[in-house]
Amino acid sequence: MKRPVAVVGVGQTRHASRRAELSIADLVREAVDRALLDAGLEHRDIDAVVVGKAPDQLEGVMQPEQFLAGALGAHLKPLIRVHTAGSVGASTAIAAMTHVASGLFERVLTVAFEKQSEGNAMWALSPKMPFTAPLVAGAGGFFAPYCRAYIARTGAPLHIGPMIAANARANAARNEYAHLREPMTVEDVTNSPVLWDPIRYLETCPSSDGACALVLASEAQARRGPRRPAWVKSAASYAEAMWVPGRDQVNPLAGRVCAKHVFERAGIRDPWREIQTAEIYVPFSWFEAMWLENLGFCDVGQGWHIVDRGEQRFGAHLPINPSGGVLCTNPIGASGMLRLGEAALQVMGRAGDHQVDGVKNALGHAYGGGAQYFAMWVVSTEH
Amino acid sequence: MSRLRNVAVVAFAQAPVVARDEHRMATEMLYPQVRRALADCGVERSAIDYQVAGSADYIDGRPFGFVGALEVMGSWPPTQDLHLEMDAAFAAHYAWIRMQAGDCDTALVCGHGKVSEGEPRRILNLELDPYYQAPIGLDPLATAALQASAFMARTGTTDRRLAEIAARNRAAGARNPDVQVRSSASADELARTPWAVEPLRTGYVPPLGESAVALILAAEGKAERMCDRPAWIHGTDQRIELQTLGARDLSRSPSARLAAERALAMAGATSAADVDLVELSAATPVEELILCEALGIDADRSSPALNPSGGPLVGHPLMMTGLIRLGEAFRQLAGRAGDHAVAGARRAIAHATNGHCLQQNLFWVLGTERRWT
Repeated sequence: MKRPVAVVGVGQTRHASRRAELSIADLVREAVDRALLDAGLEHRDIDAVVVGKAPDQLEGVMQPEQFLAGALGAHLKPLIRVHTAGSVGASTAIAAMTHVASGLFERVLTVAFEKQSEGNAMWALSPKMPFTAPLVAGAGGFFAPYCRAYIARTGAPLHIGPMIAANARANAARNEYAHLREPMTVEDVTNSPVLWDPIRYLETCPSSDGACALVLASEAQARRGPRRPAWVKSAASYAEAMWVPGRDQVNPLAGRVCAKHVFERAGIRDPWREIQTAEIYVPFSWFEAMWLENLGFCDVGQGWHIVDRGEQRFGAHLPINPSGGVLCTNPIGASGMLRLGEAALQVMGRAGDHQVDGVKNALGHAYGGGAQYFAMWVVSTEH
Repeated sequence: MSRLRNVAVVAFAQAPVVARDEHRMATEMLYPQVRRALADCGVERSAIDYQVAGSADYIDGRPFGFVGALEVMGSWPPTQDLHLEMDAAFAAHYAWIRMQAGDCDTALVCGHGKVSEGEPRRILNLELDPYYQAPIGLDPLATAALQASAFMARTGTTDRRLAEIAARNRAAGARNPDVQVRSSASADELARTPWAVEPLRTGYVPPLGESAVALILAAEGKAERMCDRPAWIHGTDQRIELQTLGARDLSRSPSARLAAERALAMAGATSAADVDLVELSAATPVEELILCEALGIDADRSSPALNPSGGPLVGHPLMMTGLIRLGEAFRQLAGRAGDHAVAGARRAIAHATNGHCLQQNLFWVLGTERRWT
């Protein structure tokens, strides 16, 4: 990075299964207006706009950023549209960060959204791959075998997934923007029907309408702003090919490489001790245990022990997804940016009822594709 | 403009544009281009720091079509990567920004997609806003015709003039082995072709085509070692404008004008007329005229040469057309343009667009010498 970059504004919508009262443009504006207000800036202050969302088939609009140019305040500004599958919200924010780091832009607005009620996510997320029998089982059908492999490999007991799901819901109850906030017990989860073995109904992310927007800015702007910024210490997006013989889908190399990259550049040697909270992309319960290992918070095979001991709960050693995470709110394209934005809010000390005490460094993380795309950043109170 | 990092195009490979490649998937079309581009600059994939692609899921006819490109772009071991849902020229622009940030020294930029898998006229209707414009059934030919009408009404441009521009592009295309339409046609012949959508004739619009493209960018220090005649980027800028057709003066493109101004200013150039050639992503003769107006160049003069490759009228693979313009500018400056070479070319402009009616525009100004010393 050529020069420091800070998050100076965070905005998100109230997330729900159907924001029928809003057009796609309205939804995006709800987040954008909040981010600009938060940053104390107006559209005219913005030098470029970086937009991200998951497949256009989710809403049935091709490259919707084109018709949203007006709503995004992008008229006569540079704009790009990013799409890196589920990781897109995170890779989009990182692309916006690069714009500022380049020295060419002072203040960049980045936006990610999904209005899933416009379409059918199960259909849109069931790609027909050449020479491959279509699963038509959505993302859950795709990722359930990865979770089964994790259980087989580590001997994790079957209550771990339900524990993760119940904890996420307890966290979401403290987040006013979250989609699913009704409390549920481990027993409730265990009693819900299995959708894709071992994933039960209540261990699955919802389909949400929602958007997230961030304003990223140079140091000069960050010092001028009305609030304490979150400094981006390091960020990276990595991807790996799918059909590599021996590729480890449970503990993907791209995730390990990306985590090593961002921790090294942030000067973090032991993330378990030096990161105070993490927002990580957990669309199905078991991924929380899997990513704790992949990110290097613990050794391989130890992720589920952290969950079993409750060390990742709110108020414990390393609160994971204090916002409730993807399990409680999932406007797919925005989910990654929500992770990065929530990490920034924790560092800024403005996460409201789900604020973790004493956060100096926070990790925001997202993944996508067949566990092939990883994007993450470390934000900090200091640069 | 403060000193930026000198970055150059050092390699370019494209599959010849065809109406339909019956036997290969998009990734199979792309892989040989990646290998050719790498071989061109004599490096292995491991020498490339960053990769970024441009494509569209709707063109691929499925979600996550771009994920397959990871297999052929060389994503093992894992690589730093991004994908833009745009013409791949915008991916090249982002790679350039990344180099300015000091995050990479070399980048592989790919464009891919098979339009023959679907019905692009219906698909591109879905780019329009879903509440007011898309339901009318407007497709890119219809919106281009609206734009042509507006331009002809404002400027008095005649049908004959459009035929002449189309004929020039056809003549140029006949000298370029990578294009789809390799036969020249006279203005008289083209002026007799039927309306596609009035006032655009079938002779004034490109056929649907598909290709695959790989281009390599490298920063100063590496570029010279990868290419004997790199095409240095002197300036670049991109801008979008409103989509709503009724809210725009379709006869002009303010986003193109602003992007051109900024790119030229970055290049330290006073006038676009000083370059030797211009490659425009103009899918119709009217788009060519609107872009010339935005650049401040006279489409009737012999210099700069306009679309010496034949331009999109003879080969228009969606999501790649813009990156091919950048690749063509490289070919000209690197002395690799073969039969369609512009003699002694030292400076070039390349252009890319996204959306209906030139909604978003990207310009590159390139030269055989470094911009910043």
